[in-house]
Amino acid sequence: MEKVDCIVVGGGLAGLSAAYGLASAGLEVMVLERGDYAGAKNVTGGRLYVSPIRELYPELWAEAPFERAVAREWITMMGDGAHTTFEVAADRFAGETPQSYTVLRARLDQWLAEKAGEKGAMVVPKMKVDELLRREGRVIGIRAGDDEIGADVTVIAEGVLGLLASGAGLRAEPAERDHAVGFKEVIELPPATIEDRWHLNPGEGAAHLFMGAVTKGMLGGGFLYTNKESISLGLVVGMAALKQDPDQGKCFSLLDEFKEMPQIRPLVAGGTVAEYSAHAIAEGGIAQVPRLYGDGYVLAGDTAGLSLNALVTVRGMDFAIASGYHAAQAVLAAKKAGDCSAAGLAGYEQSLRQSFVLKDLETARHIPRIIENPRLFTHYPQAVSRLLESVFTIGPQPSRRLVKTLWRGVRKDFLNVATLKDAWQMRKL
Amino acid sequence: MSVDVIVCVKTNPDLQMIRIKDRQPVLEAIPYKVGDLEKNALEAAMQLRDAAGGGTVTALTVAEGDRKVKETIKEALAMGADEAAIVSDPALVGADPAAVAQALAAAVKKIGTYDLLLFGEGSTDNYTGQVGARVAELLGLPQIGYARKISVTTDGVQCERSMDDMIETLAAPLPAVVTVVSEINEPRIPSLMNIMKAGKKPLQEWTPADLGLDAAALAPQRQIVSNLAEEQDRKHILFEGTAAEQADAFVNALLNEGVLGR
Repeated sequence: MEKVDCIVVGGGLAGLSAAYGLASAGLEVMVLERGDYAGAKNVTGGRLYVSPIRELYPELWAEAPFERAVAREWITMMGDGAHTTFEVAADRFAGETPQSYTVLRARLDQWLAEKAGEKGAMVVPKMKVDELLRREGRVIGIRAGDDEIGADVTVIAEGVLGLLASGAGLRAEPAERDHAVGFKEVIELPPATIEDRWHLNPGEGAAHLFMGAVTKGMLGGGFLYTNKESISLGLVVGMAALKQDPDQGKCFSLLDEFKEMPQIRPLVAGGTVAEYSAHAIAEGGIAQVPRLYGDGYVLAGDTAGLSLNALVTVRGMDFAIASGYHAAQAVLAAKKAGDCSAAGLAGYEQSLRQSFVLKDLETARHIPRIIENPRLFTHYPQAVSRLLESVFTIGPQPSRRLVKTLWRGVRKDFLNVATLKDAWQMRKL
Repeated sequence: MSVDVIVCVKTNPDLQMIRIKDRQPVLEAIPYKVGDLEKNALEAAMQLRDAAGGGTVTALTVAEGDRKVKETIKEALAMGADEAAIVSDPALVGADPAAVAQALAAAVKKIGTYDLLLFGEGSTDNYTGQVGARVAELLGLPQIGYARKISVTTDGVQCERSMDDMIETLAAPLPAVVTVVSEINEPRIPSLMNIMKAGKKPLQEWTPADLGLDAAALAPQRQIVSNLAEEQDRKHILFEGTAAEQADAFVNALLNEGVLGR
């Protein structure tokens, strides 16, 4: 059997980040990607938080093909007949070292594949791995078609469904309760139009999230990210909720309805749909993170369940890149010590525990169960909008004092048994 | 016997991934690949080599643009070509069929020994269908176009040639130029093992100067004045009523347009 130092299954950000680190250190690395090219099968909303990963591979980010540095955060809460939008702009969002950028995966992943290739990694697209080869429990390589290739360590970064890893019993089968489906369109608009619509200086970007009526009460929300010459507009809906929905299977029509909403229509007016894509998202948080390593293998990125939906911030790509980086470091250490068993690779989980990856997931431990609360997607966006609507309404009757109006709204919508119970639960946010 | 084949390969953007915007193709971030008919030519070359029990298949390409040709040509090596040669130079960006043929002919002379030159009958992107014939003329070789079957013996090459209403069988002495059509074979998909081996196969890079060509000889003789996608008018007809009524109205509209019932 032919053998290389390291096989990486999956040419996404986790796999490519691992390959870049391994190849930079001179290891013989082969990345096997099922799609026509790296990134072909990958989807993000998308925004990449660069702040957490800037110090990992610092030489890379200055030339990365990002779309726009996010300077403004918008959140719209949508109720029936009223909606409320917050716009938050801070100098440090997109100053000299912006904290996050909008990205398009086809471009970003191909670029990272090129960078890994320049370091000597062999990136093979259109190559589906059929099986992890095992001997006495140890992962010793892969089979693709009729070819078996051995490796000291296999980095399994095959994506959210983790078919190979779960097939080999290295992690649980994906559960619908822990997953959402995201679907989006890339809609082309002239840069000047994008900058006008989201109050941006030339080159700056915005992230815009939508809560409430967009998902018809199902767990999830809408998102909009501004790219250079397009916007990414889409929805995320919990799979369990979607399955219970009587219209299930029609989630794509939700996106059409979303685009037709009076709040959204002017934002996408004049645009041309250039792309449509959809993807599963792990939202189970740290509770569904499997064991991250074993004899001859490590799990990275979505396969390891490393993503986090914290309502106003949604992350995954920074975790993927960081896990790839730490996987590479752990494999290098294991190779150096001549021990690629679980004991030799244990440094991987240790360094992830010391990094933001598992720390942030640990901090957010309770979020997945809290955001299952349907009132977050029905009652609250409606209540906030209704309250503010009442403040701004002048009718034929004499008006009340502002404080009285506010108090009435708060008492009615925010001070009852259900909401107090929610507040008690949300203290863990 | 053994048979040495040079397959002239064009690399082109992956057409499946190209979008049209403002009637122009958007080429940004589009990966390049070995052309479709060139894959048939490579497959044919390897079958001839293997049937003869020996010989060398060389994939030869001219980099007509900034297309990471060194990476792309590895696809030919992964399929099973033994060697690759690239002619590349900034002067070749936007080269026309005449210039490409000049560069190929010079490179073939440099390679020196060969029995057969194989081409696709046309390239996947521009499909001028000129380059094979031009190279044959430049080298003074016999040529057979549109081959759907090739066999090589010590006497020469025999080809079946697809015509509209008949099949011609032609023979020519070696060395000869043959261009192939897609029905000649089903190109193999490279296995992982062969992809791994491809990186270690010999790959020769030449500039036009290495081949004794000056840049002026390669300057395009023709200019592309415009290259626009066809404009299609959308009819924007919305059929209403029950499903049955909509279906009837739809079929009638198709009949009226002459799309159905021709």
